[in-house]
Amino acid sequence: MKFLKKENFEAFAKKISRENDIFYPEQTNGSYRWKKNEGESFSLEGHRTVLPMKYFFFPPGENLKEKERKPAVIFGARGCDLRGLALLKKIYLEEPEDIYFRKDILIFSADCTSAHKDCFCAALGDEPWAEEGFDLNFSFARDGYIVEAGSDKGSEILKNNSGLFEDASNARKREILEVRQKTKETVLKQNGGKNIKPAVIAEKIEKNTDVLAKYAEDCVSCGACTNVCPACFCFFLSEGENNKIRYSDSCQYPGYARVAGGANPRKEMTPRFKHRFLCKFFYRPAMQEIKGCTGCGRCIDGCQGGINFMDVLADIAGAAE
Amino acid sequence: MSKDPYRAIDAWITGVIDETPAIKTFVVKPEIPLKFRTGQFIQFTLYGEGEAPFTPSSSHFEAEKFEVTIMRAGRVTEKIHKLKQGDVIGIRGPLGNGYPLEEFEGKEILILGGGVGMAPLRSLLLTLLAEKEKYKKISLLYGSKTPDDIVYKSQFDNWRKKGAEIFQSVDKCETGEWKGKIGVVTCLFEDIKPNAEKGVAIVCGPPIMMKFGTLKLLELGYSPDRIYLSMEKNMSCGIGKCGHCALGKYFVCKDGPVFKYSEIKDIEGIWD
Repeated sequence: MKFLKKENFEAFAKKISRENDIFYPEQTNGSYRWKKNEGESFSLEGHRTVLPMKYFFFPPGENLKEKERKPAVIFGARGCDLRGLALLKKIYLEEPEDIYFRKDILIFSADCTSAHKDCFCAALGDEPWAEEGFDLNFSFARDGYIVEAGSDKGSEILKNNSGLFEDASNARKREILEVRQKTKETVLKQNGGKNIKPAVIAEKIEKNTDVLAKYAEDCVSCGACTNVCPACFCFFLSEGENNKIRYSDSCQYPGYARVAGGANPRKEMTPRFKHRFLCKFFYRPAMQEIKGCTGCGRCIDGCQGGINFMDVLADIAGAAE
Repeated sequence: MSKDPYRAIDAWITGVIDETPAIKTFVVKPEIPLKFRTGQFIQFTLYGEGEAPFTPSSSHFEAEKFEVTIMRAGRVTEKIHKLKQGDVIGIRGPLGNGYPLEEFEGKEILILGGGVGMAPLRSLLLTLLAEKEKYKKISLLYGSKTPDDIVYKSQFDNWRKKGAEIFQSVDKCETGEWKGKIGVVTCLFEDIKPNAEKGVAIVCGPPIMMKFGTLKLLELGYSPDRIYLSMEKNMSCGIGKCGHCALGKYFVCKDGPVFKYSEIKDIEGIWD
């Protein structure tokens, strides 16, 4: 672990920007949105962005052909984004690999120092900081950042910029725990101290179709929940003029699973609504060994029907066997 | 750059056979021979228009040219039906897992088909007949809506000559021309009693036929791990990424399209 003084952060970012496009979470009206850096100063405090990080890796409506572009560095990715990315990588990079899923992006994640009102990661047993999947992670000490390398590329960057970094003292390392704990408590508190076990959800979904059906009454099949989810990966492959195009798609759309003959296993709302929970808590853990929910709460924020997905999970978890 | 799994290879239509008013068989010659295993599928690409998944209906021992039998059922197949000899299309594949022939060796094989579901089963039948000494018995039970809806009409006698035992039914026949059995395909079991203990059964057809066919096979004593189903789902990417063909925890394109009934029997909506 290294220590980066606050006043050295800008010099570090400038140096990185020489060979990379830099993206970071910009705060506007209390929300965070991804922004391309044009040389302005920025900081890493705050919480997850409105849109997930995933679209840097597979932008909606992408023309699937070779592109010339600078590699990118994403500053300020959050733990939820990285947990989502871990699943996306398993899906997209498994053989045969999707060669258009970007691999030239470095991730410089940062601990959350605040929480969006819908964040519930800690209530789901996850942490409001990244534990793996980053190249560098930035944690907050009083007068700067504690920086941890999570990959060979990250270690190399620290080595190449050794003039800007110093060794982190144990006292400073302890300081980051205070920030982490405070954010975690905020998340737990705003979720009433709930402790939802993903494995319990997986077991109980099938037996609680009636609970899901009740919530599904408010669903308007708009697909916002899947579009803003950092772990949802579905797309529709379409024909472009000289290449294929990968459009975002949603299992919540009525025609999603329909075949040409007209058969549709999920034409009704409740099976579609249930499918999303089964996918996240049962199917993906069974097949990819990663759950498909990160507790970021973006689906709650985006839901046009006002469905609180954390409440759905809490109801299923608390329901009778 | 490594291989692009979304890029189709060019292929030429070298023949078009009218099977029924709604079904045609296309003979396709790909620029590179398609080394598929019977039961695997391909994505049939109309460049700039769309793609749809089909299982080749020819023997997997022929790779230079293969056949694919297509029913007009939607936007893409409507356009495919307009293709003529010499037209260029794209092919992606082979995709998914085919029939596990090694599990069929030494057994009595019962093939239960309905309608255009005969397409992958024809590929299987031709592949089995090419090495028929490996199998104890090969039987085909095939049902169609009416005599006009029978695909591969002229080929049944030839398959009989090659060693397959074939039974056919039609759901109804208003003209009286049909001399055989009338009723849904499972009515053929009134006359034949397969040896479920020594056999395997392979089913493909419309969802309702697959459902009742499977239930009948279970009733006849086939164990769920000896019933093989070719599942039709909405395959888009064909390589287990886009999510469209989800069948419970499986992606039909990658984990199927052939499944043992025992693998999928508890999944909701498998027959829908």
